[in-house]
Amino acid sequence: MYSAKGQSRSTGLFLTLCAAMLLLAMLSQQSWAAGPRGMAKSALAPVEEVMTSASRQFDRLMSVFGDVSSLRAENQRLRAADEQLRRQVVELNAAAKENASLRQALDFVRASGHHMVAAQIIGVGPDSFSRTLEIDRGTADGVKPGMVVATGAGLLGRVREAGPHAAIVQTLADPQSRVNVYLSKSSLQGTVSGGPTVLQLEIQHTLGVAPSTGEWAITSGVGGTYPRGLVVGEVATVTRRDASTTDLAGIAWVNDPAGITFLLVITDFTPS
Amino acid sequence: MRRGIGVLLMVGAALVQVTWAPRLEIAGAFPNLVLAAVVAITWTLGARSALAWACVGGVLCDLTSSGPIGPHALALLVGVYVIGVWIRNLERVTALRVAASAAVATCLYSAVLVLADDTLGLPVAPIGVAVQLTLAAAAYNALLAPFVFEVARKLHGALRTAPQPA
Repeated sequence: MYSAKGQSRSTGLFLTLCAAMLLLAMLSQQSWAAGPRGMAKSALAPVEEVMTSASRQFDRLMSVFGDVSSLRAENQRLRAADEQLRRQVVELNAAAKENASLRQALDFVRASGHHMVAAQIIGVGPDSFSRTLEIDRGTADGVKPGMVVATGAGLLGRVREAGPHAAIVQTLADPQSRVNVYLSKSSLQGTVSGGPTVLQLEIQHTLGVAPSTGEWAITSGVGGTYPRGLVVGEVATVTRRDASTTDLAGIAWVNDPAGITFLLVITDFTPS
Repeated sequence: MRRGIGVLLMVGAALVQVTWAPRLEIAGAFPNLVLAAVVAITWTLGARSALAWACVGGVLCDLTSSGPIGPHALALLVGVYVIGVWIRNLERVTALRVAASAAVATCLYSAVLVLADDTLGLPVAPIGVAVQLTLAAAAYNALLAPFVFEVARKLHGALRTAPQPA
């Protein structure tokens, strides 16, 4: 179908583009390129914001339509009235949920004593390997790489990169994410690592003490990457490994990135 | 004009991928619209055009992810090149072949992405997790690709017959 000449031209183009992309990757990784890279990444942020907002509106609409479909047997007048009432309920529920979430966040801000910047999620990472979120706050708002990100419920992750008006947050669900924690009852220490479905906690064996389900995993501050005292999640499962020096536990994370719309960036904690 | 429409569609695909597609997550994977689009372009326009569009789509993905700009584009280029070589002697396009090429492209894309991150000194996902996510994404993209190919073919036909400005 294609000639050998055509194939060699494709190979030439492929090699040229590969070399160009490798060069671009190496150059854009340099520290002096962080500013222009952040600005380039911020360029798509406004459109992402609009699309994310549209998707939330769509979700609201779908929930209303879902309710309506279960009322087909009823007459038209009742259906219309019901639809209107249900839409109001959905909207009120959404507002109440957001209100509760904002109150929780406000309590968290007051209780933690940290300075924080509230941000909205406008996008997520394009591949399954990196569980990242894009937020609508950047260096212009005081957000810098390394800063810790939380919600009212607890720890969410940390800022990986920041542009002028947008930043990328690596969540705890990212397989490359690590956070040192201690357990609330047994005081055992371990490291939580991310994963696509569940957070894994590796706990060092300590003579006479065993982890149990229902304990809370709280940041220990060891390593200096995260401040001490942020809630990560609850121990859901424990797997004893007598042949190993560590036990494994599954952590039910307090945050579900799919359900979060806004978050808080702790701006006064500097990771060591 | 055609290129402008193409760029707009690719920007749209990248934006949908980072805003709406994650809502369709199954087993840790979600549809990769940009990859499905470049696979469809490879079948519709051939490998040379698809290589250029892989660059455009890949850079757009890089702009919406953390880390340097380039790894996603590089990963897409490898996927497109290999399936371009594979399909160039095929006589007939079938949905099964399109789906299989999308699965192969996804595996190559994921492997190159992990290797590129490793080479650039960025943290890499554990191998078990990476394999699990790659297989789930390959299955997902294989299901998606025939539909995207159909859309791309119809769009290509419509743009070819559309009157061009003098």
